Amino acid sequence: MQTEQQRITADQLLAARSVTRWRRAAVVIALFLLVAWSIKITVIDDTDWERIGSLGSIVEKSGRFLALDVSLLPKLIEPAIETLMIACLGTLLGVVLCIPVIWFGAANVTPFKPVTYPVARMLMTLSRSIHEIVWALFFVAAVGLGALAGVLAIAMRSIGFIAKISAEAIEDIDPKAVEAIQAMGGNKLQVLRYAILPQVLPVIIGVTVFEWEINIRRSAILGLVGAGGLGLVFFRQMNTFNYPGVTTVILAILVLILLGEVLSHYSRKAVI
Amino acid sequence: MSAPSATVVTDLPPWRRFKYPQSLIHFGALLGVLVFLAYSVEYLNIPLERLLTMFGKIGIQLSDRYFPPDIEYIQNRDYFGSVLDTVQMAYLGALFGLVLSLFLGWFGAHNVTPSRRLVYPVARLITMICRAVHEMIWAIIFVTILGFGMLPGVLALMLFCTGFAGKLFAEEVEAIDMGPVEAMRATGANGLQAFVYGVFPQVRVAFTGIAIYTWDVAFRAATVVGFFGAGGMGWYLKRNVLQIESERVAAILLSIILLVFVSEVASAWARQRVAKMQ
Amino acid sequence: MPILEVKNLAARYTNSGPEILKNLSFSVEADDFFAVIGPSGAGKSTLIRCINRLVEPTGGEVILYGTDVLKLSSTGLRRLRRNIGMIFQEFNLVDRMSVMDNVLSGRLGYVGSTRSLFKLFPRSDIDRALRILHRVGLLEFVDKRADALSGGQRQRVGIARALMQEPKLLLLDEPTSSLDPKISREVMALVKEIAGEFRVPVLCNIHDVQLATEFCNRILGLQDGMKMFDGTTETMDQQKLDEIYAMEVL
Repeated sequence: MQTEQQRITADQLLAARSVTRWRRAAVVIALFLLVAWSIKITVIDDTDWERIGSLGSIVEKSGRFLALDVSLLPKLIEPAIETLMIACLGTLLGVVLCIPVIWFGAANVTPFKPVTYPVARMLMTLSRSIHEIVWALFFVAAVGLGALAGVLAIAMRSIGFIAKISAEAIEDIDPKAVEAIQAMGGNKLQVLRYAILPQVLPVIIGVTVFEWEINIRRSAILGLVGAGGLGLVFFRQMNTFNYPGVTTVILAILVLILLGEVLSHYSRKAVI
Repeated sequence: MSAPSATVVTDLPPWRRFKYPQSLIHFGALLGVLVFLAYSVEYLNIPLERLLTMFGKIGIQLSDRYFPPDIEYIQNRDYFGSVLDTVQMAYLGALFGLVLSLFLGWFGAHNVTPSRRLVYPVARLITMICRAVHEMIWAIIFVTILGFGMLPGVLALMLFCTGFAGKLFAEEVEAIDMGPVEAMRATGANGLQAFVYGVFPQVRVAFTGIAIYTWDVAFRAATVVGFFGAGGMGWYLKRNVLQIESERVAAILLSIILLVFVSEVASAWARQRVAKMQ
Repeated sequence: MPILEVKNLAARYTNSGPEILKNLSFSVEADDFFAVIGPSGAGKSTLIRCINRLVEPTGGEVILYGTDVLKLSSTGLRRLRRNIGMIFQEFNLVDRMSVMDNVLSGRLGYVGSTRSLFKLFPRSDIDRALRILHRVGLLEFVDKRADALSGGQRQRVGIARALMQEPKLLLLDEPTSSLDPKISREVMALVKEIAGEFRVPVLCNIHDVQLATEFCNRILGLQDGMKMFDGTTETMDQQKLDEIYAMEVL
């Protein structure tokens, strides 16, 4: 009797599994068709196959990048320093601008939750939603060509991530230290300074260093829209069809990023 | 009643907040960073005095030139088509990139890589280069080789997503419990089998979250790659920026912000659902 | 003349929630080492936290040195709290700060906001901190970070921090629950000695009845927020203990 019942449930299970299996297959096929359709539209229809020509010409065109323009190297030092500085100043300005956003955006310390909390969360999303190129375009239009536009663009782009992680760190603090400071008669400022700050400072510094590393990568391309640094050199090499020069600039960017990674590795070790 | 009565200590060791030499090194490092930053301001010719009045100026500029946004300009079939193109570019790039990064996550994770001498450093190097080179640079290079169109956009986003997700995947794989993997190897499973049955089940949920996040980042980039000729909305942006049609630029920017915002909210929701599945 | 008088105290966490404390009255004298015992969930921690209003009571009176604690403004409450030392079950130290800064933070109620922002404590506070650290036997750890210490050492830092406040009352919230038995006894002995030296009354909530009878002179037995016993340690016997712990499921 019992085995009979077990058989039935096993049969039912198998039946149910075959239904889900069919359904899953249908979903997979639909997704596959969708991808195929997208590939047809974006890749097959939209590409100028005539211009690309044969595989050989693609290889030939790509091959032009496989060289270095050593004569360019001395001219790269100054833009590289500029790129690094834009990244540093942009990150610093971003952190400064972050402070009120963090304060408003952490649910447990925000001054007036129904208004300040959603406003801060909106600002964080806005900052991250807009690509650095768009921010740079905006600031180039507003303050003119040059490094300042780059610094501002980097700062605005950095706010979102730093503020989000820091605000979440404040929301996740251990409340026991807060209770202790309150129990001994500390005021709100002292709670902030002695209970909250020591707990979140390593997180804030860590995320800032992380963002700084990314900002080097970002500031290296801002020159493409007129905000100074290596991007400008890249743009010029591209416009004069000096492909070995392009590769040289890319390598310079890689070196800069590697440098940033090494520096951030050591600074993070020093802090935590 | 406040002074300890029984234990009067006469020879207390001196205590100072300033410690030699640690505090000196700290202050020195801090000072060095500050000097470098100040020098940067000087070097880059940043007009600090203008910085203060600038925010007011930006406000005026916004209202003068960018307001009101020319919403009608973006309400036509061509523009909607470009939005659709952008979405397709983003998800194809993310999809291909994620497939590639699965391999990088496997080969580039120190604990399960098939060969620590050979495969691991190569996978790491590929991940690092894909990450370090900005997606706009990839786009420009592919446009140079392949001409204008969506294909270079898809390829640029693909490389970007490969680097982005590859690193996160590898980190996730390195954090797994090696017990099940060793058990499988002990039963004679090969590398692929050990990965599929021992590693993948442990990281499936995390991978799904990372995949959604990757889509998010890819879409954000996809709205702009067109600026350098790689298809999608970015191309509209480029044309109107060059023609100084500021009100149209404002409308395009608004639409980009709106779309990215919607995508972000949707992916945050999806990631939360995925996290709950765990 | 009692130092602390609690009359008809009542507390609940939410307006419609269950009453944690029900009509509780007792008083603490100047030289008391006063233990609050009872099964977990009896309301011991809530009672301790009602004295310095970390938990807001819903009714009754708490009179400390003649002031009605429950009627104080937020400024008045902060002034009062700086004279109530509190020692916690999980030490409640700031892990990333040094032992010195943790101990100095006991002076926060006395130091102005600006000074405390930059950790500019007066020399006298630093001397006091060194003396107290010497007293609790932690002088060599003064520059260590709090999270580098063992449990017993951390609780000593907690005691030192409370003493920095020049307390007129010490509140102990399960000070030994996170410690092993041997260290627990050491910590209780230290608190008792110090309470004698500084002549501070102690109100201590403690789960371990043996420690309570060993170190305390008066015992309040709580069960489900109600007073089951109130008297000197000598008058406590096994039968009364069984009554207090009757509801505890082991």
